[in-house]
Amino acid sequence: MRRTMLLVCAGVLAVAGVRVAAHHAFGAEFDPNAPVRLQGKIVRLEWVNPHTWIHMEITKGDAKEVWAVEGGTPNTLLRRGLTRDTLTIGTEIIVDGYQTKDHSLKRANGRDVTFTDGRKIFMGSSGTGAPRDGRDPTETTKKPGGR
Amino acid sequence: MLHRCTRAIRALLVVLATGWALTPASGQAPSPGTAATTLPRTADGRPDLQGTWSNATITPIDRPEGAPPVYTEAQARRLERGYADRVERLAQPSDPNRTAPPQGGDGSTGAAGNVGGYNNFWVDPGDRVAVVNGQYRTSLIVDPPNGRVPALTDAGRRKAAARAEQFRTRGGEYDHPEFRPLAERCLMSFGSNAGPPMLPNYFYNNNYQIVQTKDHVMILAEMVHDVRIIRMNATAHPPAHIRPWMGDSIGRWEGDTLVVETTNFHPLQVFRGASDTLKVIERFTRVDADTIVYRFTIDDLDTWVAPWGGEVPFRRTDEQVFEYACHEGNYALANILSGARAQEREAATKKQNR
Repeated sequence: MRRTMLLVCAGVLAVAGVRVAAHHAFGAEFDPNAPVRLQGKIVRLEWVNPHTWIHMEITKGDAKEVWAVEGGTPNTLLRRGLTRDTLTIGTEIIVDGYQTKDHSLKRANGRDVTFTDGRKIFMGSSGTGAPRDGRDPTETTKKPGGR
Repeated sequence: MLHRCTRAIRALLVVLATGWALTPASGQAPSPGTAATTLPRTADGRPDLQGTWSNATITPIDRPEGAPPVYTEAQARRLERGYADRVERLAQPSDPNRTAPPQGGDGSTGAAGNVGGYNNFWVDPGDRVAVVNGQYRTSLIVDPPNGRVPALTDAGRRKAAARAEQFRTRGGEYDHPEFRPLAERCLMSFGSNAGPPMLPNYFYNNNYQIVQTKDHVMILAEMVHDVRIIRMNATAHPPAHIRPWMGDSIGRWEGDTLVVETTNFHPLQVFRGASDTLKVIERFTRVDADTIVYRFTIDDLDTWVAPWGGEVPFRRTDEQVFEYACHEGNYALANILSGARAQEREAATKKQNR
């Protein structure tokens, strides 16, 4: 039974990893010894494949720095009707993640990207708050929008 | 990871308690049952396969060892609900006062590589168990009946060892952009998404557009905007040294099923260690207004001791296939290479100062 449980667990986690990355190995790009917590306003969005990049300005003492944060494919969000215009320039966000292995770059993965009250950015469902969770029979996957 | 695993186990305990050891018959779902005569057809009378389709599913390609061929409907629904619950949980707010993640990595595995990847809201791996012939499948592979790829031949094992040795001796995996995987270089697919065989990637963008004429069938895979042109009723594949991406595909109709034979695969597009004599046979059958049953057979006796194959439901969708122009934003490849160079410089400096 224990073996079967582990099999099922492995299957579930393999199919739907908790925090995932697909296009490339994130472990090859980011430094596990350089964790960061960034808080600041969005100054630019690159709504591009293979990975969206969110540029944000943070304050470090008297200085300001612009960091770029890597997210996932915009295609998935486009199908839910979410575009780069869903996030307004100037919106303040909190990001935790890890800096690139090349520390001369101010880039990090967006391991968890939220508004300042902790809510996840990019949500959209009339059901439970989870995107397309299948609980709301009136929810359709076809939404207006897309660029 | 452990507590997440425990939660996943708990969520599925009831599924297991209700018994995986059930006969295939008990896993019957309502059959689609649309009469073939009512299916949409093209002007020349062939089944119309055109439109946009998705093969996203939570059913894995290979069957977990010991699992039966099919779930009961209750088991399937519970798995799907477990997935939906999980999405909901991961959409919950985080602590706004959280600190940076742990020094040394967050323990995540796979592509998230100990740094956590990115939020779950970016992904769309599929939320349904695959249903074929009214059965809730536990694997996409159905031949052999255990749902698992047959053993490698001796030649297949030698080939795998030689390939591993080649990777080991050619230099570091970050030494050259061409040492990086095809998907990372924005060249081809994720896994075997574009195929053939066309298999789900379990991450996102598992969408296809099919356009059909009397003489050609075009299949656009969203990942990585790969287009395959199938020549209908062509009589011969090109010479062996002509090896395009996704191989050379020739199609024909067998009754209402589109049968496609593909050979001449690109030497860099190696499906699960297959040899250059790999032949893939695909069968596309539109079984109702919303479903194509896609069957594939892998024929490569140089690599595996027997042919093998599977069945994948393609579900019709009204959603759009978006362009996946990948090079423009592929900063990751440069970051990976510059990261490796930075670490080399750091190691050299340490050595010098020793």
